[in-house]
Amino acid sequence: MKPDIEGLKAIVGKNNASDEIADLYVYSSDASVHQAMPSAVVRPKTHEEVQEIMRYADKNKIPVVPRGAGSGMSGHAVPIDGGIVLDMKRMNRILDIRPEDVICKVEPGIVNDELNRVLRPFGFFFPPTPSSGNICTIGGMIGTNASGNRAVKYGATRDSLLGMKVVLANGELVTLGTNTRVEASGYQLARLMVGSEGTLGVVVEATLLISPLPKYRAMGMVNFSRLEEAGRAISNIISAGVVPSMVELMDNVAITAVNKALDLGLPDVAAIVIFECNGMVKGTVDHDMESIKKICEGHNGTGIKVSDDPGEMARIYAGRKKLFPSLSKYREGLACVSLADDMAVPISKIADCVHEIHEIAKRNNVIMSAYGHCGAGLIHTKILMDPTKKSQWEDAKRAVKQVYEYVHRIGGTTSGEHGIALSKAPSWKEEKRDSLEMMRAIKRALDPNNILNPHKLMDAPDDWTTATALRYQVKGA
Amino acid sequence: MGYLNKLEQEMNTCIRCAYCFEECPVFNEQGWDSDGARGKVILSYGLLSGEIEPSRYIADKLFQCTCCRDCVERCPSNVRVVDIISSARADLVDAGFASETHKYVIENIKNTGNIYGDTEVTSPVREGETPLFIGCQYLSRPNKTKRYIKILEKLGFDLHIQKEICCGFPMEILGFRKDFEAHKEKFLKSFPYKEAIAFCPTCTVFLKEGYGIDVKHIMQVILEKLPEADLGLKVTYHDPCDLSRGLGIIDEPRKILEKLGVEVVEMKRNKAQSGCCGGGGGILMSDSSLSDRIALNRIKEAMDTGVDTLVTSCPTCEQVLKKAAKEIGEREGKNMVVRNIEDILWKGLKKGGK
Repeated sequence: MKPDIEGLKAIVGKNNASDEIADLYVYSSDASVHQAMPSAVVRPKTHEEVQEIMRYADKNKIPVVPRGAGSGMSGHAVPIDGGIVLDMKRMNRILDIRPEDVICKVEPGIVNDELNRVLRPFGFFFPPTPSSGNICTIGGMIGTNASGNRAVKYGATRDSLLGMKVVLANGELVTLGTNTRVEASGYQLARLMVGSEGTLGVVVEATLLISPLPKYRAMGMVNFSRLEEAGRAISNIISAGVVPSMVELMDNVAITAVNKALDLGLPDVAAIVIFECNGMVKGTVDHDMESIKKICEGHNGTGIKVSDDPGEMARIYAGRKKLFPSLSKYREGLACVSLADDMAVPISKIADCVHEIHEIAKRNNVIMSAYGHCGAGLIHTKILMDPTKKSQWEDAKRAVKQVYEYVHRIGGTTSGEHGIALSKAPSWKEEKRDSLEMMRAIKRALDPNNILNPHKLMDAPDDWTTATALRYQVKGA
Repeated sequence: MGYLNKLEQEMNTCIRCAYCFEECPVFNEQGWDSDGARGKVILSYGLLSGEIEPSRYIADKLFQCTCCRDCVERCPSNVRVVDIISSARADLVDAGFASETHKYVIENIKNTGNIYGDTEVTSPVREGETPLFIGCQYLSRPNKTKRYIKILEKLGFDLHIQKEICCGFPMEILGFRKDFEAHKEKFLKSFPYKEAIAFCPTCTVFLKEGYGIDVKHIMQVILEKLPEADLGLKVTYHDPCDLSRGLGIIDEPRKILEKLGVEVVEMKRNKAQSGCCGGGGGILMSDSSLSDRIALNRIKEAMDTGVDTLVTSCPTCEQVLKKAAKEIGEREGKNMVVRNIEDILWKGLKKGGK
């Protein structure tokens, strides 16, 4: 059933609902490979409006897909069954900041960096630091349990979330979780919502744990001529009891890409590891940096640079920061496609996994670089391919399948921080095969009409290449 | 979609990450994903692929862009967003979706050689060595132009100025590319130089990019020759997008102001990440209300610095920011004086040699 646009406008105001084809087309995609048109886009401002929209949609069995910045890489905000896209960015107020309780309350549309800008004068920050923090919303971060390059120290969104208010599929408003740092037994329903990708409810308020801003920070960089040694060094850093705030790896494909694009003159080695420590006491930070340095030297790390000068730290991080654009411009005719982009593996298996990713890429005629927050066991990859050729999608499909088979074999998981939605669902369903029915039962209990972001996660199609149209025009063989 | 056709690879390079949302002035003002730079790239891709048909609604969205290049600055994939938008505009104009006000401006250029259709415009002719391009905006402000020329001459420049016609940038950015092709030859006959100085940031960028002329903006050539002064002013400086993001001219105006004894208090968004004035990309002509709202945001940001004077070095920025400052002054009783840097230079030269 096509939503009644005039009825929706009556709820949110005439300027906040649209069924114009241009708007629907823009809201048909996110940062993934997927594309599917909604029938309406609605931008609520209050939880009452969200409740009213949900009551209408549930009664008429119209799908509703909540959307933040639309920066998801797996198709979370792509309305596979059409229906209403609920653009939550207007609900962006910070409701309360309580430094004495180390918490704040926000609406879901607030952007991560904006929240941190407001928290800064209080001497606090919201710890999850996704690379997309400049635009991603807290609601989207809750939906995907996002983390970032400091997850090694601070964990993911789940670890900084105490409670929330959620509008359920039938329009009912419920309060989940607490305002306290501890909560004993009982179903942890707030945590259930984290990572549920908008399939169980629409988060309209979140109570977040905030952390004091560290006073000191230092960063280092080390080269490895063998990938295995870089992997062992990372593993030893984490298991030695040092708590770095960042441990990033760049493989040789990444180094080559950055040098080619930016002429940074990074050494042509198998891997570069960038590490950072922060804290309230300079001596502790220096001690941890020294410990990491020694561990790296013990694994034949060379050319170690360490600095606490902001300019020098920016120079150290420049290659990692500019890696993404460098990959995008790696070679004329290739696009940087978000597939198999965020697996997590046991830390001791990082080097093996990166090596295997390179082998799989070679076997399947695509280019894959591996980099990421390896201190947390997280590896980012991107597939560089010609998205206009059908054969390249077949190559990519084989490569993705093989990567995940390997990741699962070594005890890893399909997604560490970006989420599942559509493009990772086939492999994730393999990984979670004995708990899928449990998830479906929860979904049925909370959303009996299956209107909230339907056919994602456990209910997503088994072939991601045909789950929706692809956002690229595929023309030739 | 003949113009967009050439940019398919560029649009495939866009990973649709939305990083361009962060400071997009139109997105921040209107809030729909289709208002942001990513939305405009997606609409352009849809026009090229044929998934969406050209329409008035789509044309309005694509013309609601100030072309301030903030998206280009922030794009992690270095996508040429403004090229994509101007190409989509060109295809929409060819499909019959040009706005009436834009058509009027283009006809003015074709008929009179300047954007205002002013037949009285005269170029202050000089027979010296260094070619100077003044541009429509300054030519229509003769007093300001006269002073700017005097400044250059006082600093020892031997200028060559002849009757000039519009560089044609409005034709390019508003999508009238066929008209621009015809205009190009005419322009090169009127301005047949390989090197030049220019007053207007936008003309400077376009003389470089559209014609390959080695042109320097006035901010780049006067610093060394400028005598020190002690004006004792405290101002904030608004970076025009074509100077800062387009040409990388960021330090020069600040050094000039410093040399004249003017202290600059930076706004929150400054230099390469400067906020937009709201005047560019044609929206001043086709959607002045949107332009006004963006300019008001910028003036409020200037007021947050605590100073009462904003200096800029672009005639369009000056015009829209002055209007916004006046509105805030009348509405809220807060004052922000908007001045062109030429005004400061003139005062500095008069007081120079301290």
